[in-house]
Amino acid sequence: MFKRILLVACALLLVATCAAFAADAKTLTCIGPWSGAEMEAFVPVLQAFEKETGIKVDYRIYRGEDLSAQLPAQFSAKTTPGDVIFMWSWFIAKQGEAGHALELTGLIKDGDYLPGALDGLKVGGKLYGIAYTGKVKPGFWYRKSFFQKHGLTPPTTWEEFVALLDKIAKIPGIKAPIVSGDSVGWPLSDVTEHFIATFGGPQLHKELTAGTIAWTDPVVKGIFEGRLVPLLKAKRFSEPIEWTQALELWWQGDYGLYFMGSWITGMVKDPSDLGVFSLPGARGIVFGADYAFVPAYTKHPEEAKKLIQFLATKGQEIQVTKGGHIATYTKVPLDAYPPVDRGVAELLTGRVALSDMDDTIGGEFQPTFWDQLKLLWVKPDRCTEVLETLEKKAP
Amino acid sequence: MKEKFLRPLFFVPALVLLAAFVIYPVVNTVWLSFLSPDGNFVALDNYADVLSQQEMVDLRGFQRGFPYGALIHNFMWLVIHLPLTVLAGLALAILLRGVRGGSIIKSIVFLGMVTPMIVGGIILRFMFDGSIGIVPGIARLFGGSPETLTAYPETALLSLILGSLWLWVPFGMVLYSAGLETIPSEVYEAAMIDGAKPLSMFFNITFPLLRPITEVVVTMTFLWDLKIFDVVYAATMGGPGGASNVLALQMYFYAFRKFDFNSAAVVACVLMLLTTAVAAPMMIRSAREAR
Repeated sequence: MFKRILLVACALLLVATCAAFAADAKTLTCIGPWSGAEMEAFVPVLQAFEKETGIKVDYRIYRGEDLSAQLPAQFSAKTTPGDVIFMWSWFIAKQGEAGHALELTGLIKDGDYLPGALDGLKVGGKLYGIAYTGKVKPGFWYRKSFFQKHGLTPPTTWEEFVALLDKIAKIPGIKAPIVSGDSVGWPLSDVTEHFIATFGGPQLHKELTAGTIAWTDPVVKGIFEGRLVPLLKAKRFSEPIEWTQALELWWQGDYGLYFMGSWITGMVKDPSDLGVFSLPGARGIVFGADYAFVPAYTKHPEEAKKLIQFLATKGQEIQVTKGGHIATYTKVPLDAYPPVDRGVAELLTGRVALSDMDDTIGGEFQPTFWDQLKLLWVKPDRCTEVLETLEKKAP
Repeated sequence: MKEKFLRPLFFVPALVLLAAFVIYPVVNTVWLSFLSPDGNFVALDNYADVLSQQEMVDLRGFQRGFPYGALIHNFMWLVIHLPLTVLAGLALAILLRGVRGGSIIKSIVFLGMVTPMIVGGIILRFMFDGSIGIVPGIARLFGGSPETLTAYPETALLSLILGSLWLWVPFGMVLYSAGLETIPSEVYEAAMIDGAKPLSMFFNITFPLLRPITEVVVTMTFLWDLKIFDVVYAATMGGPGGASNVLALQMYFYAFRKFDFNSAAVVACVLMLLTTAVAAPMMIRSAREAR
């Protein structure tokens, strides 16, 4: 009797082990930052991949901030929590250089992507990641119904912009004309980059990213002290408020404008009520792409490469249909976009697409940039000190 | 004779684990703190470099206000949080002793202690939020301005220190409650017969007899304040402008944002020295008592 039980137990164990191996052989883990509505828009992309290849994909949510602490230790131990991981471009390049990311050169064609989209992922000509869809940080969003109700129009000059803020400030019930989104600090850096790209031009934005001009340079200081600080001092921006909460407050009419990326179109109840304008005279617009890579320690390198290739190409077309995303893959047809995103894409026409400054520089500069802007937002008179601190941490 | 040889043998598994997971990492971290990023021995250069950084000590703070640097912020935690925690823990333990429903109230207070600190940090962030937070909400009731207190440099650190009291006070309360149970009631009865007043009984009986408990609460709170990380990370990420930065968070920034493990090791060693200096007297006393 005992022998029979032992035999059955062994057989069950064998079957379970085989099943586990069989399941493991075709299950990839994809790690990305999206949760909630954003995740719901991404999951169909993975489902389409599963349908096409028969390879199962598990999606897990990790923020870049958490991955930056976790991955170096995992990679040192030659292991990885995921087979395809979405992460900052500077981080991917660094891991590629250290041998922790698989080389993807030849997997996708450079010419099929927006100019410069893959630059931050290359080290010595070798490609270590892919550019997925991106989000444009086009400018200030407003509710068309709010503007109509109060007789407001988008500005065409700086003076009109300042006058618009004055008008909004006088509307009863308005807490501040512009709501400032807060998180770890990136919403504030997006606004600041827009001011730099508008009043310093795309070249200044690129030079600051490359570290070839100082943050304390009179030109940079002039933009801060001449444009941004007066608005902060006049309380035209609210104090930093958690960005999803800020979205709700703005939508319900506590604030008139909200500077946010194009993903906002997928987060509001009625996207058709959305309007957006850039700062008058903006010649460059920040385009922040999402990047992914395959860790060198994946157990399924070939399957992972298939997934990342899919994400870089067909996956983008599926993603943009969900709203809030703009493809870096230029073969995605314009009619794949929802109407509101087509409007966002139009804002890019005739303007230089700039890579997100803090995501490109990364390292210690990124959290310093975010944190110093939080200080500037509530203490605009400490602008000089903020710029000096940024200069110390700049590349 | 056999027992004499066998006894040390039983220590071996524990010693192996200690060596692998405590001694080796500690020695390696200390060694790392004396090396340059390319592996050369640089003696105390890393220490001089890290301790002279404004993130660690920013003397300009004494003129313009926050930030003062992570090291000074940690001392502020100690100066404000430590006595408040000890006093509040003791006060709650005494007030709730023998009170009807006291154990239920203690259980509710103890919820702070069982809440993960990272969750506590997020709750703190919302507690002080100008739009939905309870603290600005109360301020609004009394005509105050509903500002997000964690968003301003002059109030961010203080908000975290005071706000985190509910996370750590239960620890003192529980220990003091247990300590109070060990004081024989005869001592109080004798004092009452001698005509002692409640305040006099507290200072001459309760407080002296709770001294061993106080030592534990003070030491553990000291260590908690020195290694504070998760609450600050989740609530303010050390901001705004580094106004609530602390040593453990600075170590994180060095290690995982700058990828400068040598500087991170320096901060880790400074923290280790400080915690050892505090914990050593208690450990020595415990060893003596055990003998």
